[in-house]
Amino acid sequence: MKTHILELENVSHTYDKEMVLKNISFSIEEASFSVLLGLNGAGKSTIFSLLTRLLNLQSGSIKINGYTIQNYSKALKDIGIVFQEPTLDLDLTVRQNLYYYGALKGLSFKETIASIKDELTNLDLDEKLDTKVQKLNGGHRRRVEIVRSLINKPKLLLLDEATVGLDLKSRFDILDYLRRKVQKGELSVLWITHLFDEVQESDTLAIIHKGKILQTGKVEAIIAEHNQADLTQTFRYLTRENPDA
Amino acid sequence: MRNYFYCAQGIIYKELLRFLKEKSRFFSALVRPLLWLFIFSAGFTSALGLAIIPPYESYITYETYIVPGLVGMILLFNGMQSSLTMIIDKEMGSMKILLTSYINRNFLLFCKMFATAIVSTIQAITFLIVAYLYGVELSITGVLLTIPVILFTSIILNAFALFISSVIKQLENFAAIMNFVIFPMFFLSSALYPLWKIKDSSLFLYTVCSFNPFTYIVESIRFTLYLKYDLSTFYIIFFYFIVALSLAFMGYKSKKVLKKS
Repeated sequence: MKTHILELENVSHTYDKEMVLKNISFSIEEASFSVLLGLNGAGKSTIFSLLTRLLNLQSGSIKINGYTIQNYSKALKDIGIVFQEPTLDLDLTVRQNLYYYGALKGLSFKETIASIKDELTNLDLDEKLDTKVQKLNGGHRRRVEIVRSLINKPKLLLLDEATVGLDLKSRFDILDYLRRKVQKGELSVLWITHLFDEVQESDTLAIIHKGKILQTGKVEAIIAEHNQADLTQTFRYLTRENPDA
Repeated sequence: MRNYFYCAQGIIYKELLRFLKEKSRFFSALVRPLLWLFIFSAGFTSALGLAIIPPYESYITYETYIVPGLVGMILLFNGMQSSLTMIIDKEMGSMKILLTSYINRNFLLFCKMFATAIVSTIQAITFLIVAYLYGVELSITGVLLTIPVILFTSIILNAFALFISSVIKQLENFAAIMNFVIFPMFFLSSALYPLWKIKDSSLFLYTVCSFNPFTYIVESIRFTLYLKYDLSTFYIIFFYFIVALSLAFMGYKSKKVLKKS
């Protein structure tokens, strides 16, 4: 039986008296590719911020790799994070950015490069190590951020709208790369997105709408359960059924 | 412990890289106090007569008097520059990288302040060397002993700056900080004139200066530079160190980070 790498239970969150998350519960299994799908403003980024401790948990519980988020030194140790907005220092080289991030994960400079040697080769970045980030195109910058998030060999990778602004090829290159890693059992992924074409039938899905989880499960099972043609129609059906979710 | 060491190393490494890449920042940080030393003090030497006051044992030139204040100016402006960088980092998102590390957030913030303090200290020592070459009376022992004091007091100013960066919502508000924090902090201190002179003019201003942490920062640098010490100043400095760190740490508590970004 697979164990859960991430568990959210009855998580609610309020911003300035407005409840943006309402009793959210879902979990993701080890070595799975899970997608949190929802429209803009559904509460995806709030969940992401709670998982990464950018926001304090107000109610409910979050467990990562068996540790509660309050025990952040253990809970966050084995996760990798890719933010929606670019977070690389443009004035530094790829290598310098990676050194800095590795250090924040408690790794020496030598250990940092050693830990991502294969990743750099697989994503065609080993030639660009000494290039300034500002000279890289958007796709390469994103790849650097993906590689960076893998520095500490995370068990769970959290990505918040990681492909926003990229062309189709770059988007699917990144997705394919991560899916291959999941298939090899190297990590679990929580892919947060509003883009329906990024979801595959084999993925585990959690649909979020207006701060509530409407449905969780395998994509194909969810579509079949509601007797719809595809995911887009299923999503429309579910949000129509739950207009004030 | 090993993890914490590498983490500190990485933060200092990045700050030093930024410092080396922004040479104009280094020179502009030096030009400001040097202008005061070469021009302002030349004009005021004859206007402001100075009595013998501790730590000095004889009459001194005005240039000699303002050097510790100008060292403080470097630390103050560098701290605020670092605060500006933090606001940009917050707007750009790179601040999140720092704050989502599994390593204790207060430790990360302290490393950030310490890294900025190292850069400030390099600039302050360079300024002292130029001041010495200009003819200001300084001893090598005094300058060497001042290094830890500069480092320590710089952390206090960086912590205040960090706190300010946590409460500023937009970069545009930074100009207001210049007017409402940096200038009052600098002018309402003993950096440019001894407190007894201010007391002669206005008891109210003197009282304000007496509560200004920058006054004690300048005085601690002044005393150490001339191989004297005033224990009460160091107690007060230590008190402000605790206050400033607490404010900085509170400013970056989890729930406050994202509201502004």
